[in-house]
Amino acid sequence: MPKYVMVIDIERCIGCMACVIACKKENNVPEKHFRTRVVEEVRGEFPNLRMELRSELCNHCENAPCIDACPTRASHRAKDGTVQIDRKKCIGCKACILACPYDARYSHPEGFADKCSFCEHRLKEGKKPACVETCLGKSRIFGDLDNLSSEVVELLRRHDFSVRLEFAGTQPRVFYIKRSFTGGL
Amino acid sequence: MSEITITGLNAITHPYLKVWDWRIIIYLFLGGLSAGMLVMSSIANLRIPKQSVKELAKCVRAPFIAFITLAIGALFIILDLGKPQNLIWGYLTFQPLSLMSWGTWGIPIVLLLNALYILAVIPEEQRYRLKFPFLLKLSEKLASKVRALAKWNFVAGIFLGIYTGVLLSSFAAIPLWNNATLPILFLVSALSSGAAMIVVIAKKAEIKFLFTKIDIWLIVAELVIILLFFYGLYTSTAPYKKAIKPFFSFTSEHFIFSLALISIFLLLPLALRIKIGELREFEGGFQGDFTKSQVFRMNLAAVLVVVGSFILRAAIVYAGQLTKLSHY
Repeated sequence: MPKYVMVIDIERCIGCMACVIACKKENNVPEKHFRTRVVEEVRGEFPNLRMELRSELCNHCENAPCIDACPTRASHRAKDGTVQIDRKKCIGCKACILACPYDARYSHPEGFADKCSFCEHRLKEGKKPACVETCLGKSRIFGDLDNLSSEVVELLRRHDFSVRLEFAGTQPRVFYIKRSFTGGL
Repeated sequence: MSEITITGLNAITHPYLKVWDWRIIIYLFLGGLSAGMLVMSSIANLRIPKQSVKELAKCVRAPFIAFITLAIGALFIILDLGKPQNLIWGYLTFQPLSLMSWGTWGIPIVLLLNALYILAVIPEEQRYRLKFPFLLKLSEKLASKVRALAKWNFVAGIFLGIYTGVLLSSFAAIPLWNNATLPILFLVSALSSGAAMIVVIAKKAEIKFLFTKIDIWLIVAELVIILLFFYGLYTSTAPYKKAIKPFFSFTSEHFIFSLALISIFLLLPLALRIKIGELREFEGGFQGDFTKSQVFRMNLAAVLVVVGSFILRAAIVYAGQLTKLSHY
């Protein structure tokens, strides 16, 4: 079974927000709700400023607090290692939304919890997630960590990387490549 | 200096969490109240060993009110569910790490034990009120097992009291809630509000006085644990230290939380003072009926405790959702 991960090359993001739109369109994300976001963080004192653009989404954690919090197994780990929600089983208790340290989830207007699925339906067809496909600057890179010849393995080998809130112990599967910017995650 | 602009925000999580609201607060409050009443009514019925069952069943209405309280509380959490029609899935599995799962299974079990307890404590002369013959038979049968049922309900009450706190403390992403003191604080506050509620509803002066005395210790414990709760977070790392800020920022938009903390520290010691006053009045022993003013004072102190317990839960549920592990 593959081990899907996403690598985000922070320096390649141009802030076009196409990923945010592509995700909404691909997954019929309801109005005023989002499965992915782009954070623009400016640091320093004028004129010595530095800006970082950073995509954020569900980290599909290996040690996912949302799965632990779910009373019905609606939030579960799929065979490909991603964290998925079974809408039929979700009672809408919102415990998973509180459990996620990354604010990756939201409450769908129809009552169930919703979040990024790494475009599960597209993966089944051998395609990449919509945000990756549409990324102009090639900032989002997707692949199988178990496939040693994949681009993600190569990138993680060549670059220093970090994950968001590493101290939370969730072991995210979304990695951020750091070339010069440090901190901020 | 850092300035953050985010595209793609969800209102439920930004700028702060707005996930659980007043419905959960009422659920936690009523759940705690019910838990405390179950424990206290069990104590009332168990405290004198080897007494005949007839004389024993002294705390009769408390289990009944505890049942209604918990049932209403459970209704509020069902109202909070986005898809209550899927609740059946909660009963097709048990997830030991999910506190919601413990609640899904635990609350009906507590309600069942509570219902059996009610049937057992109904006095013989009141049994005719049971409309169904099978209930009447069951009540007669259970009456002899009132002691065992009281023990079970004691355990059920402790479980429920702790559960309301653990439900919150299980969220590692929420610094204010994520500590081991919170379940103990909620348990003690539940026991205290339960004892206070029994003081209000009890007709027998002896029971009123007993729980006024018991509550003194519980209030003292609650005040100490509240202090330890805040001290523990204050001495912890940055997100945890930040989490208690709303309670100590008297001028900001979070003034309401400071006000809540001040109210708790006014209400509980005031209740304590009144209760100790009552205790002094009966130093020489307990004779006959209470005067109206004594009953009023005991009831007043009890109401203060119940209000304090509600404010505590409301403040902690709302303040918890203001702070996250991440800095935005």
